[in-house]
Amino acid sequence: MGISLSKVYQSLSSLAFWGKDKEVRILMVGLDSAGKTTILYRLQIGEVVSTIPTIGFNVETVSYKNINFQVWDLGGQSSIRPYWRCYYANTQAIIYVIDSSDTSRLATSRSELLTMLSEDELKSVPVLVFANKQDVAGALSPAEISEKLGLAGQEKGREWSVRGSCATKGEGLDDGLDWLVNIIQK
Amino acid sequence: MYHLLKGLHEHLTRKDEYSVVIIGLDNAGKTTMLEQIKTLYNSTPGMPADKIGPTIGQNIGKISLPSTTLHFFDLGGQRDIRSIWPRYYDECHAVVFVLDAVDQARLSETWEVFDQVLNSPRLLNLPLLLLANKQDSPHCLSVSEIRESFDAWQRARPHQAEVDSNSSVPNSPGDVHSENGRHEHDGKWDDGGAKDERMASLDVMGVSALTGTGVRDAVNWLYIRVQNARKIEDRN
Repeated sequence: MGISLSKVYQSLSSLAFWGKDKEVRILMVGLDSAGKTTILYRLQIGEVVSTIPTIGFNVETVSYKNINFQVWDLGGQSSIRPYWRCYYANTQAIIYVIDSSDTSRLATSRSELLTMLSEDELKSVPVLVFANKQDVAGALSPAEISEKLGLAGQEKGREWSVRGSCATKGEGLDDGLDWLVNIIQK
Repeated sequence: MYHLLKGLHEHLTRKDEYSVVIIGLDNAGKTTMLEQIKTLYNSTPGMPADKIGPTIGQNIGKISLPSTTLHFFDLGGQRDIRSIWPRYYDECHAVVFVLDAVDQARLSETWEVFDQVLNSPRLLNLPLLLLANKQDSPHCLSVSEIRESFDAWQRARPHQAEVDSNSSVPNSPGDVHSENGRHEHDGKWDDGGAKDERMASLDVMGVSALTGTGVRDAVNWLYIRVQNARKIEDRN
């Protein structure tokens, strides 16, 4: 009885999901000067805007392939990272942005990411990692970043992908979002 | 009373959980395979094949079978990302290696990668299923042709190694050379023994991840093997 009721509920709620244009809530986080705000506006208006360090957050609705993403771009400075957790509830996907050329802070970036992923509220939420600033000389490749992050074998309950990007040229962003769209839609 | 019933319900619906990793070269059809499995076994269909792009990272899937839950980890197959595969070897219960049976140009690359997987010590006792994918294509190799191709590749390889070792020590005295030779022979012998055992728990099947042909057979194969592996483990 309980099982059949929950089945009915599931099918009803899935109908409701497809019935209306629901906004997908995405968190975009990462260390300061990784390029989060640049990515956000590249996605939204397709242009490179000059940005200043985000203190607080930027939130924009980005339409992509008939899905409305509500993208929350949170400030990345160390003093405001503790506030990321205030935004975790109801998140359907995480975009984590890394400055691939900033090798000295990769360890910090890794520990911030792993701390975030260990939160219960973000359990089984898919993660898209942008290894950004691929155009800078000396930038680590997505494979190297992936190796250093060590998500492989550790994050068993979620989909994840580490992709190279260059926000200023707009490279790699669409591929990453395509992947995310497919994961979220099914 | 509630807790008694709840406990009973939990006991009756308890499921063993097993992990299966899906690996293979890029464009072999691993993600399509995973999505086909999801479509066949879950109430919500998997992603349609035309939306699937190269995997860079991990995709996951979960299916429920009688008294068993199988967790699938579909890993990226591009050269750069193959280094993540071994991270999963310790905790998985079975391995599925998918190959593209149409792309004959990459067969030798496939066998090189597959041979490394075969020789991974941590996978030695695990069930390993080789899937010759894309059987829906008229130009694909059959399962027996795939077997032959791998055998031929293996036959060609030790010979290659012998030639290499001979050429690398051209001026060495006879006794050293024979020692080298014996050593190599011993190594090969050991390798062969382990490999025979390895080959015994290996199976090759033809599937079409696109149309779903043979996918159920493959999942049944896994289902039976992971349970047997657990039983043997329990006995020890």
